[in-house]
Amino acid sequence: MATRKIIVVGGGLAGLSAVIKIAEAGGTVDLFSIVPVKRSHSVCAQGGINAAKNLKGEGDTTAQHFDDTIYGGDFLANQTPVKAMCEAAPAIIDLLDRMGVPFNRTPEGLLDFRRFGGTLYHRTAFAGATTGQQLLYALDEQVRRFEAEGKVNKFEGWEFLSAILDGKGVARGIVAMNLRTMEVRAFPADAIILATGGIGALFGKSTNSVVCTGSAQSAVFQQGALYANGEFIQVHPTSIPGEDKLRLMSESARGEGGRVWVPRTPGDKRPVRSIPEAERFYFLEEWYPKYGNLVPRDVATRAIHKVVYQLGLGIDGQPMVYLDLTHIDHQTLDRKLGGILEIYEKFVGVDPHVEPMKIFPGMHYTMGGLWVDFDQMTNLPGVFAAGECEYQYHGANRLGANSLVSCIYGGFQAGPNALRYAKDLPVAEGDGGAAAEVARQSEINKKLLSNEGGENPFKLWRELGQTMTEHVTVTRYNKGLQAADEKIVELLDRYQRINLSDKSQWANTSFAFARQLKNMLELARTVTLGAMLRDESRGAHYKPDFPDRNDERFLKTTKASFTGAVEGPRIEFEAVDTQFIPPRPRRYDAAS
Amino acid sequence: MAERTVVFEIKRQASPDAPSVWERFELPWRPGMNVISAMMEIAGNPVTCEGHCTTPVAYDSNCLEEICGSCAMRINGKARMACSSLVDNLEQPIRVEPLSKFPLVRDLQVDRSVLFENLKKVKAWVPIDGTYDLGSGPRLTPQEQEANYPLSNCISCTCCMEVCPQFNVETGFVGAATIAQVKLFNNHPTGKVFKEERLRALSGDGGIQECGYAQNCVQACPKQLPLTSAISDVGREVVVQKVKDWLKS
Amino acid sequence: MATAQPTSAPQLQRGVEPLRAAEGSSFLWRKLHSLLGILPLGAFLLEHLLSNFEALKGPLAYGQQVYFLNHLPLVRVLEWVFIFLPLLYHAVYGVSIWLRGKSNVVYYPWAGNWMYTLQRYTGLIAFAYLIQHLWRERFTGVMLPENPYYAFHKVQMELANPWMLAIYVVAMIAICWHFSYGVWLFAAKWGITPGVTARRRFGYVCIALGLLLAVAGLASIYAFVGPLYPNAPVPNL
Repeated sequence: MATRKIIVVGGGLAGLSAVIKIAEAGGTVDLFSIVPVKRSHSVCAQGGINAAKNLKGEGDTTAQHFDDTIYGGDFLANQTPVKAMCEAAPAIIDLLDRMGVPFNRTPEGLLDFRRFGGTLYHRTAFAGATTGQQLLYALDEQVRRFEAEGKVNKFEGWEFLSAILDGKGVARGIVAMNLRTMEVRAFPADAIILATGGIGALFGKSTNSVVCTGSAQSAVFQQGALYANGEFIQVHPTSIPGEDKLRLMSESARGEGGRVWVPRTPGDKRPVRSIPEAERFYFLEEWYPKYGNLVPRDVATRAIHKVVYQLGLGIDGQPMVYLDLTHIDHQTLDRKLGGILEIYEKFVGVDPHVEPMKIFPGMHYTMGGLWVDFDQMTNLPGVFAAGECEYQYHGANRLGANSLVSCIYGGFQAGPNALRYAKDLPVAEGDGGAAAEVARQSEINKKLLSNEGGENPFKLWRELGQTMTEHVTVTRYNKGLQAADEKIVELLDRYQRINLSDKSQWANTSFAFARQLKNMLELARTVTLGAMLRDESRGAHYKPDFPDRNDERFLKTTKASFTGAVEGPRIEFEAVDTQFIPPRPRRYDAAS
Repeated sequence: MAERTVVFEIKRQASPDAPSVWERFELPWRPGMNVISAMMEIAGNPVTCEGHCTTPVAYDSNCLEEICGSCAMRINGKARMACSSLVDNLEQPIRVEPLSKFPLVRDLQVDRSVLFENLKKVKAWVPIDGTYDLGSGPRLTPQEQEANYPLSNCISCTCCMEVCPQFNVETGFVGAATIAQVKLFNNHPTGKVFKEERLRALSGDGGIQECGYAQNCVQACPKQLPLTSAISDVGREVVVQKVKDWLKS
Repeated sequence: MATAQPTSAPQLQRGVEPLRAAEGSSFLWRKLHSLLGILPLGAFLLEHLLSNFEALKGPLAYGQQVYFLNHLPLVRVLEWVFIFLPLLYHAVYGVSIWLRGKSNVVYYPWAGNWMYTLQRYTGLIAFAYLIQHLWRERFTGVMLPENPYYAFHKVQMELANPWMLAIYVVAMIAICWHFSYGVWLFAAKWGITPGVTARRRFGYVCIALGLLLAVAGLASIYAFVGPLYPNAPVPNL
């Protein structure tokens, strides 16, 4: 048989990493992406990428990185892959450096490192405050090189609809839809790798990009893939509230010395710069003296919520706190944080060099995702997953600057593993189920286009976002989660009556969106029900009614499987691999 | 008091061969509103000022924080990113049109793949031996990093090409973005292995010589890339390369 | 491959084609155009304006200058190789540059864009002017190479027509602009002034140069039409 064909879906860091490894190993790759891959959401990552290179004489080690990651994730992550990732991280940084990523430098010409949340070491390499952009571009350039050499075929502007599974449930390719011609087509492959990112769109407004709908992972979930730890959603403590989205204000702002505070007097009317030091409440520094402003994100986010909603100290009574950089000199700020300060100034119209920024937590990252084994393969043979769309590396809470390394590492694993898997794959019988899958997807399209009713998909989406943000983010109550699930069930019902105002078959963006919406709704149930069943507080999952971590019952991976029944997905629990670091209490406020 | 509103006029075109029409929308004003949030609002209720039911506007967007480069369009006549176009800073009615120099797909969507083709033509990458562990990369001074970083911030929005009087079907000009990338990769200690090849590529038809130095690119660039300086630097190097090639031939 | 739906989708229009890397010869022709503008054409312009300046000293001095120039060795060869042919090339290729550019100063009224546009229109003015100037002053009427001392009178008669005078004034300004901005452009595009600061400073130099040339040029026009040498004597042919 001819060379093995691998399909990679998603052109962010994870997808491109996988593509590079496969092309380098001599495989052929079809790369699918909704947007030109250079516009993928990885471009939004700001602060940096972690690796224990120990270039600051602090004695940092990969073991310490591993421990910080596991501890930061509240022991929910399986330790074997996390350990391997932390050990691989320094070489990944070196590789990126060789690819030309313009990392900031020390005077000696070595990589500079900054501090980030959840660690006491300078472990984060960075390229200004646009590290994700620089990393994505470096990988994009390598892929463009392979593309020019004919080793990679890009299908930009194609949306993944489903996997093609043969009679034995083995992946034989994908069905994708051309977002211009709306053509639905089967693409055969010997293995597929999903690298389709996070699910921010479930929450309406988040720091995620528009394409981060989780539609692809939801589609394979509905085809039988397991979805793990869906309830773990990271809400980033510092984002800029906006009309259309929440814009991230990187943790690196605090890594470079930014301080979070509110006036001690509720509703203080003085101009911010005239409030004396003694009357500013640096609550993170007071509550967490050891880590200060660099506590992990879940901790900082809950602290901000407490200050705003319990202590009533939000700025002008609004849900906002100050993130203050004004004490740092102008040049240092421009050199290390220029990109994000520019974003703030452009979108808010205030110069953060001279006036503290007003920020508030916003939905940011999906710790959960498709269940995969240590080879990055889902329970569907031949369907691999890497990057934010899978669940493996961050447990109950991701540490800042670990996502970039997990995406690249995951892609580097998934690529060669998929190739190895494909080598031993027996030839498909007939078309492997391609025609049937195309027919099924076309049927869905036909129905959506011919629907009669009064529902607008964008309005349903807005309601979904409001519900999810209200009940399934920072603070969760079982009553609220119940209400959220009922709301989603209602939305699923109303979805049946969507009437598209645009029924054309050319670049029909609302049609594509309506398709994604169905998948978002199904996934939203999984997230919500997972949260409902987990009666404890762990990492980003916080239930005031169950304020403690409960290792006995819940040191477990949540594994959801799609049933199609009204009751929603079936959820099982799987033991967590804790063979290297025994779980210990997670206390960032402890003085030790 | 009447509710404050915002008026948009959007150029619509259902497909490349369909006629274009202007549609007018009136939306409730909200603080911090930008052109994208207005478009989202329209999608939820696609009805024009005249009460005519229409379709949601097709447009490209992704990150909404001016880093992905998707949402470039002409707003009040000027090419810019829709996400960072705050309604409060724009004269009303806000007229929104697609970029004019690229093949139209639908409404505000255009096909900008020519830029990515151009990047291939100039080998805009660092040719590493492989992704296996070969130790750390070349040392660079902070000054070198600070010179390269701004060039590496190009978001491929194509605003520089849209506003360039020389970028058109007649000239087939490559545009400022690609020239800046040539400078970036020629500056890199490993990337410069292709330096001569890139310079020769840029002396091909549609190359750097087509630049008319109107300097619109540097004015329009949302990421403030030093585009004109890149054109000057690369322009000199292309000439030197061509002279060398001629002397050696 | 299994596929649903017939494909009768609309086709996109043709866009700007990608770079034809290392192909074609337009680089050479364009750079030649640019270079010729400075050398020899720019150099000749300076020479011409300096020579004109002699007119301020009177008809005789002016005639002597014309005599001197026309008695340079191989003057006819020099004239064709260093003036007429380069001029023709610069002009014709320049028109093609003008035709292929799409000025958008209406939408982007920025300084550089204005200059881009002006460079094209001043070039056109110069072209049109030079056709008539050469025709009427060099190739028809009294032949000045053979009758250098007739030069002052010939020019004076020409400029006695107020329309002609207006044309000369406009063209003088346009050509001085075109040249001095051309020098600035040359330095920018050939990478002689690669930095923003260098370009700004050199911009001041070019403004000064342009003003100087224009003033000198207009002064020599004044020598022909002003009260200095009214009705200059006509030498015997």
